[in-house]
Amino acid sequence: MSFNGCQHLQTYKEATGTTTYRIIYSCFVSCSTADARRRKAELSKCVECKEAKPRLHACLSCIYFGCYDKRHIHAHAQDKKHHIGIDLSYGTIYCFVCEDYVYDSELEEIAKAQRRRATLSLGLKQRFFPWEPTEEELILLRCNPKRRRVTEASHIGLRGLINLGNTCFMNCILQSLAHTPILRDYFMADKHTCQKNDDSQQCLVCEMARLYQEVYSGLRTPYIPYKLLHLVWTNARHLAGYEQQDAHEFLIAALDVLHRHCKEMNGVSDSNPHHCNCIIDRIFTGGLQSDVTCKRCNNVSTTIDPIWDISLDLGPGSIHSSHLIPPAATAAVGDVANSTSFSSAASESTNSPSTGFTNSPGNYEPTSLVECLKRFTKTEHLGNSAKIKCSKCHSYQESTKQLTMKKLPIVACFHLKRFEHSTGYHKKISTFVSFPEELDMTPFMSSSRNHNNGYSSQVIHSTPAPHMSCDNKYSLFAVVNHYGTIESGHYTCYIRSSKEKWFRCEDHLIKRATAGEVLNSEGYLLFYHKQILEYE
Amino acid sequence: MADLQERKLKDAQMRATINQKLVETGERERLKELLRARLIECGWRDQLKAYCKEIVQQKGLEHITVDDLVSEITPRGRSLVPDDVKKELLQRIRTFLAQQSDV
Repeated sequence: MSFNGCQHLQTYKEATGTTTYRIIYSCFVSCSTADARRRKAELSKCVECKEAKPRLHACLSCIYFGCYDKRHIHAHAQDKKHHIGIDLSYGTIYCFVCEDYVYDSELEEIAKAQRRRATLSLGLKQRFFPWEPTEEELILLRCNPKRRRVTEASHIGLRGLINLGNTCFMNCILQSLAHTPILRDYFMADKHTCQKNDDSQQCLVCEMARLYQEVYSGLRTPYIPYKLLHLVWTNARHLAGYEQQDAHEFLIAALDVLHRHCKEMNGVSDSNPHHCNCIIDRIFTGGLQSDVTCKRCNNVSTTIDPIWDISLDLGPGSIHSSHLIPPAATAAVGDVANSTSFSSAASESTNSPSTGFTNSPGNYEPTSLVECLKRFTKTEHLGNSAKIKCSKCHSYQESTKQLTMKKLPIVACFHLKRFEHSTGYHKKISTFVSFPEELDMTPFMSSSRNHNNGYSSQVIHSTPAPHMSCDNKYSLFAVVNHYGTIESGHYTCYIRSSKEKWFRCEDHLIKRATAGEVLNSEGYLLFYHKQILEYE
Repeated sequence: MADLQERKLKDAQMRATINQKLVETGERERLKELLRARLIECGWRDQLKAYCKEIVQQKGLEHITVDDLVSEITPRGRSLVPDDVKKELLQRIRTFLAQQSDV
């Protein structure tokens, strides 16, 4: 769209041109050099008040700075008949005849270019601009005048999914994904462009886009996701058939297929699987840092692995799924209270600093998500039976291992391992594990580990420093629950449609729920969304 | 009395020095950008925009000036800024000032 300001501005432009505007903009609105900034700091003062003031305006016809609030600039304009001025905080143009800010496309282009240079010179990331419709989109908007607004009372986005025969494991994941804010925005903004035009029926990403269209169509009859199911079946063979499946397994398989289909479409080669820029990786991928410290020379070898979810053990004993000692052996050692040494060799505990931190391993079952995470990021001793060759002292030594979060994903998915498949027995752990509506991940970050000088890191500051910003804070937006036993059961989920508005989805049924109900449920998968996003 | 006036003068000088430092180093622009981003994120911008629309509709486009609009929305705009945002900005300014040796 083009704007031409008012007639006074046009007269001004014809007489003076745009150079004055450009110079003032680059010197006093958006500076791109240190020199200009120094001058701006020195000179940005109202001529009358002799002070730096908010809403300072400059005359575009002569050298005069005056403040708007005390009408010094107005007085000047009237006095000298200089009708056009510029706001020095925002660069907008004011016409003193029209008594209004006026907009001119040509000048806005100049402003945009200057702003871009200023951001670059300050090393800031590209500034965020709200969406502006393109010509094409404007035509689309004009041709489709009907608008649908999401209001307090609207039920848009709440649509049940028909169970196609033990497919509740899929329905609960689809509901969770459908209500993942950033993923929903991606699909609703029609950002996915499928490259396999002739074969888009085979693209799971396209099918997901259709799911979003259906779920947010405003229709209230349940939707039948049979095509989606079929696509998952053909792409993840192990889920095919009408048997009961694990929702977590489905989630990982779905993310994997989506990721693969995105990649095909981007034409990115498989040579660097860890640097994918697809929407799934941008949203779900976090970086898990693993530090293995040699007990002899204290050499730390660090690896960082991409992860889509965090699986947390609930049972007593073993800390990580990758743990090397059979948990049954250590669980028998009844040393619970003070031992910080994990391995069965009790004598070692004298070497490791013992702190008052209560997450001593052993026979203790975590009762909250934060406890699970503490245990997850705790230093564990890889015992006698798991000696690793140290890359520095070149010998097989006992070592300690610690996992921390190097990079946080936008959506953090926690998987509480309620289904135990240990040697010989399978059972479901139904312990209640509390989880918060707001979660701060700072204590579990690799950067928190470094603050401890890498010193065994048994201490994780449970109370964050008061000055901490909210960069690592998350909000709960979906919870998947499982009812029943390990052999047979049923999945439902809670989803948050907007702030403090929860709904319980059970296949085709959707009911209003309360936050309390959600937090008291037996969670299986917990989905958290980052509160603050960094711009790319 | 003289004391009070002296202090006022000193405060004003301090304010001017700080402001100059913020502008000179570009920190003011950085803070402005952060604030802009935070206010968009928390919905402040949308809320205020909706309020502006409401006022314009109420009074009629022909009968309203920028000055009217500014004076109407300023109190609401100030009160709607979330405490978290204020705190974060304050913290950033504190950190910045602590790094400046000559203020």
